[in-house]
Amino acid sequence: MAAPSITIKKRIFTLLIIFITAAIALIIRTGWWQIHEGERLQKEAIEQQTRDRIISSRRGTIYDRNGKPLAVSASVDTVSVIPNEIKKAGNAEEVAAKLSEVLGMSYEEVYNKITKNSAYEFIKRKIEKKEADIIRGYNFKGVYLEEDSKRYYPYGNFASHVIGATGTDNQGLFGIEAKYDKYLKGMPGRIVAAKDALGTDMPYPYERYINAEEGTNVVLTIDEVIQHFVEKHLETAVIENKVQQGGAAIVMDPKTGDILAMAVKPDFDLNNPFEIQDAQAREELEKLTGEEFKKRYEIELGKMWRNKAVVDSYEPGSTFKIFTSAMGLEENVVKVDDVFTCRGYATVANHNIKCWRSYNPHGTQTFVEGVQNSCNPVFIDVAFRLGSDKFYRYVDAFGFMDKTGIDFDGETAGLFHKKENFNELELATAAFGQGFTVTPLQMVCAVSAVANDGLLLKPRLVKQLTDVDGNVVQTFEPEIVRQVISKETAATLRNILESVVSEGTGGNAYIKGFRVAGKTGTSEKLPRGNGKYIASFIGFAPADDPKVVCLVILDEPMGESYYGGTIAAPVVGKILDDTLRYLEVEPKFTEKELETMDVIVPELRNMEVKEAQNALKELNLKNKVEGNGNTIIDQTPKPGAKLQGQSTVILYTEGADKVENVVVPDVLGKSVLDSNRIIINAGLNIRITGSGTAIKQEPAAGTVVPPGTVVNVEFRHMDVD
Amino acid sequence: MVKDRGTFDFGFFLTVMILLSFGLVMVFSASSYSALNDYNDSYYVIKRQLIWALLGLFVMFFMAGFDYRKLAYLSVPFLLISIVLLVAVLIVGTEVNGARRWLGIGGLSFQPSEVAKLAVIIYFSNSLAKKKDKVKKFFTGFVPYLLILGVIALLVIKEPHLSGAVVIVLVGLMLLFAAGAKIFHFVLMAIPAVAGLVVAVMMEPYRMRRIVSFLNPWEYKMKEGWQIIQSLYAIGSGGLFGLGLGRSRQKLLYIPEAQNDFIFSILCEELGFVGAATVIILFIILIWRGIKIAINAGDTFGSLLATGIISLIAIQVLINIAVVTSSMPVTGMPLPFFSAGGSSLVFIMMGMGIVLNISRYSKGRG
Repeated sequence: MAAPSITIKKRIFTLLIIFITAAIALIIRTGWWQIHEGERLQKEAIEQQTRDRIISSRRGTIYDRNGKPLAVSASVDTVSVIPNEIKKAGNAEEVAAKLSEVLGMSYEEVYNKITKNSAYEFIKRKIEKKEADIIRGYNFKGVYLEEDSKRYYPYGNFASHVIGATGTDNQGLFGIEAKYDKYLKGMPGRIVAAKDALGTDMPYPYERYINAEEGTNVVLTIDEVIQHFVEKHLETAVIENKVQQGGAAIVMDPKTGDILAMAVKPDFDLNNPFEIQDAQAREELEKLTGEEFKKRYEIELGKMWRNKAVVDSYEPGSTFKIFTSAMGLEENVVKVDDVFTCRGYATVANHNIKCWRSYNPHGTQTFVEGVQNSCNPVFIDVAFRLGSDKFYRYVDAFGFMDKTGIDFDGETAGLFHKKENFNELELATAAFGQGFTVTPLQMVCAVSAVANDGLLLKPRLVKQLTDVDGNVVQTFEPEIVRQVISKETAATLRNILESVVSEGTGGNAYIKGFRVAGKTGTSEKLPRGNGKYIASFIGFAPADDPKVVCLVILDEPMGESYYGGTIAAPVVGKILDDTLRYLEVEPKFTEKELETMDVIVPELRNMEVKEAQNALKELNLKNKVEGNGNTIIDQTPKPGAKLQGQSTVILYTEGADKVENVVVPDVLGKSVLDSNRIIINAGLNIRITGSGTAIKQEPAAGTVVPPGTVVNVEFRHMDVD
Repeated sequence: MVKDRGTFDFGFFLTVMILLSFGLVMVFSASSYSALNDYNDSYYVIKRQLIWALLGLFVMFFMAGFDYRKLAYLSVPFLLISIVLLVAVLIVGTEVNGARRWLGIGGLSFQPSEVAKLAVIIYFSNSLAKKKDKVKKFFTGFVPYLLILGVIALLVIKEPHLSGAVVIVLVGLMLLFAAGAKIFHFVLMAIPAVAGLVVAVMMEPYRMRRIVSFLNPWEYKMKEGWQIIQSLYAIGSGGLFGLGLGRSRQKLLYIPEAQNDFIFSILCEELGFVGAATVIILFIILIWRGIKIAINAGDTFGSLLATGIISLIAIQVLINIAVVTSSMPVTGMPLPFFSAGGSSLVFIMMGMGIVLNISRYSKGRG
């Protein structure tokens, strides 16, 4: 046979060229995918080839300033399954039966999940250790328990708006839990494992294990004990005065800016933060469904969680007169004994601005008396002596134009007039705290500056961060914002404010043994004339060396009174009383106070009459002996009861006649003096709290009691700003 | 003019042996996990592939010693037998995934289309070698071959096995080209082919989508593009040097039957661009040595026969790699020497044996 022709050879060679060209093109194409696109493809590939399991880190504890745990995390487990592995093991029925039994779920629900066509299914999150151990014992293939943690709040409703709550993924939702989330949460660890396309884990070399880093603990400035006092008294006030929009209270250490307590009522249980507490809202929610429900629920939740003390602003009213006074004294435009005259109103730019007591004008008074009386025309006068520029500058200096910068999410600043709109009328009303808003926190900080020798501090809620072993990781030091007024002005002002409580409108905040200074405030909410008020009182004590500043705000009280001096001042008084005793501040009693000091009735039974009488005399108590025996066989009141000085203890000896019981008289609406007389005359003892008019008595009028029984009577000044 | 038999082309032989060994290693690597998953035996696939490879080696050595010129006498019966087998497979073939491609005889099974490929090559080579210049005639030289290709292609398509038909038609056309058919005739035939394709696409628009899905597989990620994306993940993961032999992650069932059509992707993943380029270069060497043998063949029959066999390998290699690198529409095409698939390896080795035998009669020697 003949060798192939040249044509054939050429043609075959052509084929070779085509093949080689195509092969080289494919080398380039492969290289393009592997080198140019490699990184992107590899990333996507790894994403589908691996399973990333998160090992949750233990969330840090939130402590109060003395190390009491307020929010703790406990170890729990989350159950999940890889349906494909269960399918391989072929025991889906058994697994479903056992799991549903232990977890309290329905068999169908569990069965559907474990046979679902998916790579990974959660069965139940956050189950208790006990249940987890049972499941672990079954040793089912394809069922996994992953360590998780659950947040517990040992005190439930306690400081809920401050502490905040966490969501299902242990993330902080609001409050300190949210603000300090990045510290608290720690660093979750990861297990990266290879899996095949069906989702089965591969024992593969590129498995990685990254340890979880424990969360940092947060130590608050809140004092658990003081917070409890505040919550107790605030809650009582909110209920008693039928407060519609809630109440807020803040206690601050003026020398450090530490928030010792911050409470908002009504509150909610941090262990159950998603349940709406307001009964009416809950009822209305039940009627809604779908989108509407969701929207409304979110609103209600936001409302419930909102920390009024930091987020809401209000018209400060007369409490602001503290600052008008401070400016006037600092700028020397007014002296303590300057004389003013109140005609019941002041005329500014052709407007008559009324004094709160226009029905009974204050008449002639010194500046100090003006403050005690909370007399509007006095402050209008002072403001005009200052002029709008200076006034405006001081409002800014006291921090009312900015947020305080507290470490809390959602803080707002109140709204003050724009400089260019701050004219005569605005100045006149601002002088007594109207026409603008402040937040409770701004108010507390500004008053703290007065209490702290004129130095304005940045408030803080967190003192320290500590690690798992309790070592301090970071300490937050007090921060000075600025010197607003001089030390001397501050001292003068503190004396004046003390007299507001001892002699003026703040009388209801008076407590025995401590010099309380403060100022009342009542403001009508906008629009004016609809009968909605905000009652507040801000005070501090002791006046000469303030340890704590306390503000109480009651938003829309619908009880018998809406005056701050009537309903908010006594709350501050009670909080200060408890707090100062807890802080072991040495009480200093005046002569008058010492006379009526509370004493505990001692055990006198089985004592000789003489002996008993001497003992009572020592305690500043009077006595009345019934019968003619030598030995005391009974006494009223009984040992342990509290009596104020100069009260009478009735001593019974052998042979005493059967003493007739007495009926408790009605003293409500009477003055202290009258009440005292009526009760003593009835053969009973009186124990007085507050001053002014009697508003409460215990036992109630008409009750039949043995003579000498103590009648507790609470007095209030009703006719106050 | 019968020459003495010389020794066969050692370079070609060595390349075949390297490719065969390389292929076996890759089959083992790619199949072990899915074999464990499906048959609970990592060696299930490789054991069978080894048996086929041994059988293939035997066949290759046998053919290397079998005078290829005797194949000329067998060309017509061989073609007729293959047509009978193609008809038979449509009737008694084993159905797998809705296609009848396999014919079982005793314990063995094979694809009649593999037989048809060799039969067409042998018949065309012999017939065209005899025809000489008459191949330039349209009706007597060109059309009859197209008719034969048409009949066989239709039978294969009927199985259905489109990619098999494409390979047979392409090999046949290449032999016509090599034998000296007029370029003009090819152009003439291309016109109705293109027109038919356009009509087919216009009738069923989804065909177009399938055809162009390779241009942007991500757009069709969940359907047509899925396999190709998995393939690209494997290729891309390999980078320059690969993850290391046996360390493919995509073979963990992401690429179904990784040891078959997509084995090149696994190779890319494990051995990187270096490995992939090496394999393509090995194929280039094989093709180059094979074409050299064809050009230097002692006669036209041998020359065309070698050309046909080499073209068969080349077409399959190029299409397979083009598919897995998303360079052309997806079609099931095994990679010679690499894809596990039993009998096809035996037919490839038979082809290699024939080429080796042709090299023994090369003009260059003796």
